[in-house]
Amino acid sequence: MKISVTQDACVGAGQCALVAPELFDQDDEGIVIALRPEVPEAQEDLARKAASLCPARAIQLIES
Amino acid sequence: MNEDLNTESTETRKCPVSHQRVLPTDGTPLKPSPTLAEWAKEGKASPLSFTDGHQGWIVTDHALARDLLVDSRFSQLPQRIPGALTQVAFGDQEPDERAEEASRLAGLLAIDGPEHARIRRTILGKFSVRAAKGHEPKVREIVNKQISHLSAIGPGVDLEHEYSNPISTAVHGHVLGIPEHLQDKYYRLFAGDSSQAEKVYFVREVLEIKRLNPDDSVLGEMIKSDLSEVEEEGLAFVLFVSGRDSVAYMITTTTVALLQNPSELEKLRNDSSLIPAAIEEFMRYGAMFLTLFSRTATEDVELQGFRFSKGDSVAVSPVAANRNAQVFPDPNQFDVTRDAFGHLGFGHGIHGCVGQQLARVELRVAIESLISKFPKLRLLEAEQSRPMDFAHPVATYKAGRATVSW
Repeated sequence: MKISVTQDACVGAGQCALVAPELFDQDDEGIVIALRPEVPEAQEDLARKAASLCPARAIQLIES
Repeated sequence: MNEDLNTESTETRKCPVSHQRVLPTDGTPLKPSPTLAEWAKEGKASPLSFTDGHQGWIVTDHALARDLLVDSRFSQLPQRIPGALTQVAFGDQEPDERAEEASRLAGLLAIDGPEHARIRRTILGKFSVRAAKGHEPKVREIVNKQISHLSAIGPGVDLEHEYSNPISTAVHGHVLGIPEHLQDKYYRLFAGDSSQAEKVYFVREVLEIKRLNPDDSVLGEMIKSDLSEVEEEGLAFVLFVSGRDSVAYMITTTTVALLQNPSELEKLRNDSSLIPAAIEEFMRYGAMFLTLFSRTATEDVELQGFRFSKGDSVAVSPVAANRNAQVFPDPNQFDVTRDAFGHLGFGHGIHGCVGQQLARVELRVAIESLISKFPKLRLLEAEQSRPMDFAHPVATYKAGRATVSW
């Protein structure tokens, strides 16, 4: 699974960094950063949760 | 999908008089009106008569609510909200033009698109997960001070007045960067009774001081950005007003919920590591907003098999959506161990609560401290057990007095 984030859409709610802190962070402006492009298998559910919680649909997951 | 279309509901709109349905007022923060559940059974959205008499919709379904709140075809422009900020801002007092414009922008809650995003983005960094964690030591200090205060004046105290409100106001003032010597005035004007004009003048007074020495607080950050002074006033106004009362409401309401559900409280007392995740259940079960600011469809929209026509007003109900049994099994059960993520307690979409990570920290520390410092805490009376008036113009619950002993 791969992560792609749309920073222009991000509204800085921080849901992703809250539920999946090993996959997502926020920069100094509060905007989403993907910490790693590939999601370790054990973290896939958390990645899905973060994507589904995102209030801006700024997280896309590409399932491999 | 088609069988789900709201043809029948559309029919009812043609005869509004015989089908007028207004927001139910018999609900309380922890026990929503049964009418909402009835409407939710009828469909994903139901006809609603707004306070000024015009007809629109209330969305009770969780998935439709979430889809609608991220859909840019729905605007938050307040043309159909009675009492839009620009009209009521100054009551009988003569507004000046600049204050009117600031007031319009204060409805960040009422502008959309790039203008909204540009303004919101100036302060986002100050409300990130990391920034919120950075405030935890100060939040703890403020909470401890109120715990000592309770010990000194109790037992038998009104939690809302003596604990929740002072905490949320002090944290709010600190994070925004309101100077120490003006914090009492902030509390008096924004937690008490004051006119809109008094509030706007106070915002200006604070901003004048911050402009001389922009620090790294929220207000300082905003001043260092490229917003105009009027935009600064508008944004500052919305930040001064929003979130302070809601955090207080959540601290009080959560405490009431825990004291009314002793087995749930016991779980948290036995294992405080459950509290961070339980915050989501607090927000789901005790959501403050019966409806959010209503949205208007800017074109014909079909969502989740539901048709909205251009110009329709739509009120999304977090309270109803949070009690959706498909998403939250046994939804009327307060269960601190459930996974309640996905609730709409902080709203959703571009207007979702900007301070939600800070609110999580405040709620966590306030509840954790209260239940550990007072192991025999009990509820004597909660005003919110009976229906109270909504806070207007949006239908939100009030916390009311909550008298506790220990």
